[in-house]
Amino acid sequence: MKRRVIVNGRSGTIEIEGSRLRYDREDGVLIEGEFSLEGTSVLLNGRSYRVSKGAGTEIWVNGRQLSMDVFDPRDLRPGQGMAANHGRQEIAASMPGKVIRILVAAGDTVEEGQGLIVVEAMKMQNEMKSPKSGRVVEVRARPDATVGAGEILVVVE
Amino acid sequence: MGRYPRDTTGYSAVMFHKVLVANRGEIAVRVVRALREMGIASVAAYSDADRGSLAVRLADEAAYLGPSPSSESYLRIDRVIDAAKRHGAEAIHPGYGFLSENAEFAEACATAGIMFIGPPAEAIRKLGSKTAARQLAIAAGAPVVPGTERALTGWEQARAAANSLGYPVLLKASAGGGGKGMRRVDRESELQSALRDAASEAGRAFGNSEVYVEKLVIEPRHIEIQILGDHHGNLIHLGERECSIQRRHQKVIEECPSPLMSSHPDLREHMGQAALKVARAAGYTNAGTVEFLVDRDANFYFLEVNTRLQVEHPVTELATGLDLVEWQLKIAAGERLTLRQEDVTWRGSAIECRIYAEDPDHDFMPAPGTIVHLSEPSGPGVRLDSGIFQGWNVPLEYDPLLAKLAAWGSTRETAIHRLDRALAEYVLTGVRNNIRFFREVLADAEFREGRLSTSFVERFFKTRKKTEADPESEAAAALVLTLESNGSGSPPLTKVSTNVSRWLDSGRDELLR
Repeated sequence: MKRRVIVNGRSGTIEIEGSRLRYDREDGVLIEGEFSLEGTSVLLNGRSYRVSKGAGTEIWVNGRQLSMDVFDPRDLRPGQGMAANHGRQEIAASMPGKVIRILVAAGDTVEEGQGLIVVEAMKMQNEMKSPKSGRVVEVRARPDATVGAGEILVVVE
Repeated sequence: MGRYPRDTTGYSAVMFHKVLVANRGEIAVRVVRALREMGIASVAAYSDADRGSLAVRLADEAAYLGPSPSSESYLRIDRVIDAAKRHGAEAIHPGYGFLSENAEFAEACATAGIMFIGPPAEAIRKLGSKTAARQLAIAAGAPVVPGTERALTGWEQARAAANSLGYPVLLKASAGGGGKGMRRVDRESELQSALRDAASEAGRAFGNSEVYVEKLVIEPRHIEIQILGDHHGNLIHLGERECSIQRRHQKVIEECPSPLMSSHPDLREHMGQAALKVARAAGYTNAGTVEFLVDRDANFYFLEVNTRLQVEHPVTELATGLDLVEWQLKIAAGERLTLRQEDVTWRGSAIECRIYAEDPDHDFMPAPGTIVHLSEPSGPGVRLDSGIFQGWNVPLEYDPLLAKLAAWGSTRETAIHRLDRALAEYVLTGVRNNIRFFREVLADAEFREGRLSTSFVERFFKTRKKTEADPESEAAAALVLTLESNGSGSPPLTKVSTNVSRWLDSGRDELLR
C-alpha cells in the first residue's frame, strides 16, 4: 500500500508491506523498518511512539504536534487538491470565537494584509487579514455571531 | 464520613454543612475536592457553557447561574447569592478571579447571612487600589519601589525627582493599569518628551493625566509571600513563591522555594515579616498573597496584595505539606489557626506550570476547542489540578487555563526532572497548548541555574531554536493515518471508544482457553 504524505507543508510517500514500512521524504530523508501498531502505540524499529489525532489535520507524536494529510496518489487529478487557489480566496476563522468587528463590506477594494474582520476568543482579539489584494465579493460573517474554526467569514477575489 | 461531625462544639467552631463554589474550571474542582475530603456538601455554580464541566460532575449539587458570558453568570452577585440560598449553602468559596476580590460581593454575602470565604470586605477595599495599597505599605513600614508618592506637578519637579532616584526611571499613570501611560526613561534628555507622552496617553485612557515617577527595577524577579490569618488575631506567613516566568504579564511557571533563597538565607524571613506588616495594617484574615519585586541585589519592594487564593497555591502546599483550601474553610468557620509560625517548615522543591489552551508559536493566542485525546501524567511527586477531560469543549468565554501540573522533588533539580517527565507523559490534543513550550523552558540553561526574571520569556523567544519532529515520528504518524484511511489496523483514534466488543472478545478467549 502506497500513500502520499503532506506533513507541515512538506511532501513524501509512505509504503506499507506487511509489518514493514518505508517513509520517503522529498528532501531525501528515508526511514525504513519493522513496525507494530496497537491502538495509539506504534513501535518502529523497536522505538516507542505515542500517536494521537487532534482536530482536523492535527496529529501528535510523543508530545509534538504535526499537521499531516495522507491520501492515495491515484485520487489526485491534476489541477486539484493541493494546487494553489488562484483568484478566489476564502478567509476562514482560525479558531472558534465571536465576530466583534467587520472592517469591510462586499464590493470594497482591499490590499494584501489589510484587516477584514476581528474575531474575539477568550478576551483576545484576532484580526483576520486579506491574503491578497483584490475585491471583497462576500462577507458571510455577521456582527456578534459565534463562529467555529474553519468557518468561512469573507471571500476575496 | 468526613472529619467534621455535625455536632462538633466547644474549642473548634461548627464547620459548614454545605458550601457553594462560585467559580469554574480547575479551581472549582480543587475546592470541591477539599469539601469532599472534609465531609462538607458541595454546590458547583455553573453557566450554560459549564453545564458539563468536571466541577459540576464531581460536586454533590450544582446551581445554574445564567448564560455563558461571565457578566451574566459568574460575575452576577445577585445570582450567586440566590444560588447559595436556593441550595441552602452556608458559605461561598469564590476561588480566584470573578468575584473573589470584590468587596461589594463580600458585603452582599454578609447581608444575606452567608459566610464569604476570604478576607473582610474592608481589607479587600483597602488593598484593592494599587495606590492606596502602596500608601498602606509605606505607613506599615514595608519597602516600596522608591518614587514620588504623589502626581508630578511639572517638569522641574519631575527632573529633580528623577535625578534623585537615578536613571533609569519609570513614569506611571496614577490611575494606571495595563501598561497605559507607562514610559521607561533612561536619561534626562528623554524625560521631557516621555512625560508629555505618558500624561497624554494616561489622559486618553483613564480621563486622568496625572503621572508619577518610580525607580525602574531592571530585570526584576516576581516573588510573593503567602499569608494566612484567623479571626482571633493569629497571622503567619507560609513563605514565598517565585513567579518570574510570565508571558503577557501573566505567570506561567511558579516555584517554592525561590532559587534566590539558597544564596540569601534571610530573605524569606525579611519578606515574610514585611508581608505580615502590610496584612496586619489592613486587618487581613484568611488566605492572601503579598507580591514583591526583587531586584538584582535582592532588595525587595512591595507591589500589591491579592486578597484571595492564588492560582499557584499548590507549590506552597507541596513544599509545606499544608492544605490552604482546608485552612480557608476552617478559618471562615471561626476556627483558630492552630499552626504557629515556627510550625511551618519547607521541604524540597515544588514547581508548577500552567497548562493553557494557547499557541506559544503565535504570541500565546488563546485556542479554544474540543479535547480530542487526553492522557494525564501521574507517578511519583506529580500533582495535577485539572478542569478538563477527553471530549470537553474548552469554552471561548473564559480564561484558557486548562490545568496546573506541579512536581515535587527533594531538590530543585529533581523537581525539574520530574516535571519534565510528567510533561512528556501528558497527551492533550484537539486544542493548541503550551506543554511543549514548558519542556523547552525546563531545558533552558538559565532556567536550570535559577537565573529568573520577568523578562525571561522575552529573552527565551529571542534565542529559541525551533526544533522539528524527527522523521521517525512522522513515519509513525503517517503509518497510523494510512492504516486508518484504509480501514485496516487499529480503530480510528479520534473516536472516544465506547465499544465493549474487545472485552467481550477477550472474555470469549478466556472461556475457550
